[in-house]
Amino acid sequence: MKPNKQSQNINIRKRGNKFGFWFFKALLKLFGLRKTYGFLYIVCLYYLVFDRPAVSAAMSYINKRFPNCSYLIRLLHVYRLFISQGKQLIDRYASVSGHTRFDIQLNGYNELIALLQNNKQGIILLTSHVGSWQIALTALKKAGRTVYLLMRSEDNKAVQSSLNIDREQDNIKIISPDQYLGGIVEIMDVLKKGHIVSIMGDRTYGAKSVEVSFLDKKAWFPFSGFAVAAAVESPVVVLLSNKVSACKYIVDVSNIIYPRYDGKYNKRQQLHQWVQNYVEIIEAFVKKYPYQCFLFHDVWSE
Amino acid sequence: MEEQKEMELPEIRKKLKELLVENLSLEDIKPEEIKDDEILFGEGLGLDSLDAVEIVVLLQRNFGIEIKDMKEGQKIFYSIDTLANYVYENM
Repeated sequence: MKPNKQSQNINIRKRGNKFGFWFFKALLKLFGLRKTYGFLYIVCLYYLVFDRPAVSAAMSYINKRFPNCSYLIRLLHVYRLFISQGKQLIDRYASVSGHTRFDIQLNGYNELIALLQNNKQGIILLTSHVGSWQIALTALKKAGRTVYLLMRSEDNKAVQSSLNIDREQDNIKIISPDQYLGGIVEIMDVLKKGHIVSIMGDRTYGAKSVEVSFLDKKAWFPFSGFAVAAAVESPVVVLLSNKVSACKYIVDVSNIIYPRYDGKYNKRQQLHQWVQNYVEIIEAFVKKYPYQCFLFHDVWSE
Repeated sequence: MEEQKEMELPEIRKKLKELLVENLSLEDIKPEEIKDDEILFGEGLGLDSLDAVEIVVLLQRNFGIEIKDMKEGQKIFYSIDTLANYVYENM
């Protein structure tokens, strides 16, 4: 929910500039998707050598995911991670611009539709920094429900352009947490109307978090999505996206958590258990697809 | 003549304080220690947006009242007094 003062001061460094975006857009038009990917190997090598903050941010995850590797091998993993993310950034533009049509396989779609039809309340879609959640969201447009993204204003521009959102005819809209009570009244209202609210599940941005185990180490994840879900009795659907080939993604919405408070137990303990369930889903995913985790943030640091 | 309400304002205030202490993580605070005009969020009682989730649900379950408008919420959630007045007017 609403970030505290400390989190508002966190400077999220944005990489790339107008020339960089123009360069890759031009490459895409001139050479197509696969050849544009080729240029990433040079660009990512530049970032690997000269962008120490980027390498350090990626190392937080790589160190936990590949704990027994030497430093050089871990650097190689960082390089592969950068390339993987670069490909998905290019895909995002290629998809939005209409240059490339991606095949998106949606696992758990029928269950999701049944959930929406059988529940008076809407659902909370818990997204994570794995795969391309933006492409995954576009796949959900056919569900016919409005998806509300809980998103900070500074992140709006990039995501708006990548998703073409908030046009009147569109069914993806934004709720800003930078408003009174973090937009909580609006979130609860749209959930009651049966819509989908998308909340990022793996970055606290200063919001309340609980200590869980992630990749065998203590980590801190926010519990706000589960607190809202438990209060309004909405299910939580974990959204995973996996790029399996140049033009194909598998989007998985089959993991569903049903948070309901049991008066016999402490609320905080119950929230902890739900967050741990979610983190175990993410952990299983990154163990299978290590280069699709773009969690460039040290969630293991309190 | 105004219709007689099921609960009077002082009774609603008392009930709200009891519900807040019971349902929110207000450790070591007794209902009677919460002042009627004490600011609920941020400074004052120190509640946050996740507590607001609980309050919205409490109002719905205990008084059958829904808050839909955020601007409205800002005025309602200010203190026990404002909350109680809203409940009284909308019961």
